Amino acid sequence: MANPFDPVVGAEWTRVSPALIKVRRLTISLPLTALAIGLFVAGGLIESARWPLVAAAALVFSGAAWTWSWAERNTAAWGYAETERELLITSGVWWRRLVAVPYGRMQFVDVQAGPVHRLFGIATVTLHTASTETAGHILGVEAAEAARLRNALTELGESRGAGV
Amino acid sequence: MSNEEAIGHRTHPLTGAVQGALWGGGAFLAILGSLISGEGGGVGVAGITFGVGGAAVAGVIIGLIAGYVGWYFTRYVIDGTELRITHGVLTKKSRRIPYERIQSVDVAEPLVARIFKLAELRIDMAGGSESTTTLRFLPIDEVRRLRRLLLARAHGESMEIGGDPVVEQRSLITRVPTERIVIGTMLSLDFLAAIAAAIAAVVAAFVFDQAALAFGVLPTGGAVIQIIAKRVIEQWDFTLSRGDRGLRIERGLLSRTSQTIPYDRVQGIAVKEPFVWRRFSWQRLEVDVAGYASRSGDDAGVDISTLLPISDPALAEAIIAELVPARTEVITTDRPTQRSWPFAPIGWRYRWIEARHGVVVSRRGWIERTTCLVPHVKSQSVEIRQGPLQRWRGVATVEVHTPPGPVDVDGSHLNQSEARRFWDDQVARVH
Repeated sequence: MANPFDPVVGAEWTRVSPALIKVRRLTISLPLTALAIGLFVAGGLIESARWPLVAAAALVFSGAAWTWSWAERNTAAWGYAETERELLITSGVWWRRLVAVPYGRMQFVDVQAGPVHRLFGIATVTLHTASTETAGHILGVEAAEAARLRNALTELGESRGAGV
Repeated sequence: MSNEEAIGHRTHPLTGAVQGALWGGGAFLAILGSLISGEGGGVGVAGITFGVGGAAVAGVIIGLIAGYVGWYFTRYVIDGTELRITHGVLTKKSRRIPYERIQSVDVAEPLVARIFKLAELRIDMAGGSESTTTLRFLPIDEVRRLRRLLLARAHGESMEIGGDPVVEQRSLITRVPTERIVIGTMLSLDFLAAIAAAIAAVVAAFVFDQAALAFGVLPTGGAVIQIIAKRVIEQWDFTLSRGDRGLRIERGLLSRTSQTIPYDRVQGIAVKEPFVWRRFSWQRLEVDVAGYASRSGDDAGVDISTLLPISDPALAEAIIAELVPARTEVITTDRPTQRSWPFAPIGWRYRWIEARHGVVVSRRGWIERTTCLVPHVKSQSVEIRQGPLQRWRGVATVEVHTPPGPVDVDGSHLNQSEARRFWDDQVARVH
């Protein structure tokens, strides 16, 4: 049976930048690993609470290991496609989502990039419609592509805009 | 004129006084409330009287001063393209309201303002969390004139700023009798739940032989009175009428509110039929208007999205037909599959989503039946989603997004291939 989360016929997913994997590992997995090491060392020093601390360290470390692989799987699931009349966005591995935003319904387009994102040259593009449920985020778009996407979408939105 | 344009207009000089009275009243009620709930225990009657009186006087004085300063620094300008409001003493704030972004314009008359024949103007724009702007207070005639002017401009018609806009023709659709609102409220679910809780408290007091439990009646009894009083006072003399620009809702016993909803700004309609109401085939109509949701916080806007608090099906249908012009013939109807029962053991039988020409309709709920209609031209985006449990059952959910409000159109837990087909068709239909 056809996958219900395929793009519409004739469209191909543009996948997001693999730099997002690095950003996520750097901002989530690494701090967790550091915390796990900290707990482990503390367990070595404090004799009275050794085993609880070591157990906590193991738990945090397995969490870190899980986010390490999650970063890759989840990033690979993000994608977007510009068709003739709408923008499609897909995301999620466990909770899968596919949303279609007609160009005419877009109110405005945001591009955001935090310091770590900028370091790796990626940004988050967000499409806003009159509905907050649209949640039109695209994570991990390369900076140049993000700027192009913003301009292209804004232009399309203006030429087809129907207002609210 | 050009000079006036640059400086802008002031609101009514009594604004400070009205604001002061409102704040004084608020302080008075707050103190009174905390005294009644026993926080001020052991002060004695004289102390209580003095405290309450003092708080009221202090509230009025502080309110007067703050209100006067706020009034002094507030200006508004109406020019060819936008309404601009500047206010603030230390940090100047300026809000621009381009006419084409106006979604709806309301007139509110709080009790104190009504005494002075003053009113406030509330303007809703689409999007953003602070999309509502209020201009308070102006003489009621001036507020009505401004409303007509803004609504005309919102529809792209130019109108002389100084000139008196033509008085619009309005025709009454319905006036809801107060006794109907009272009866409807008494048969509504939250009211019945409160009654049931009160009865349970009394029964528990007898069963466990603990008189203290009977005091559980007090808060629930209070809740019951509050529910009735609030609904009845807010929806007193609820009048729905039809004008050139849109529907007009007028309601309220103490504070009158007058809302105008332009026809083309209705994003969707929800028809709600609570359990008991269905026996009398009563319905409640609610609307989605962009910008209304951001107002649910302030108490004046509690039931702001109510189009008709209680109605018979014929009237409801006529109003819906007027607001959502669509043909009734059905293109497709999709229901959740039986496989989806773990997600809603009873509810799944009562849900469906239907595509018609010009509108998508969804139904859900077996205690309170809700039917939502969204015109295709107002659908913002279309989503299909699936969680791990849904994947296990081979189902998926489709949802048509609308601005925040009572209207929610979704097809929950449809067979996944059906859901995808609906999504594909709906994406094609919204253009």
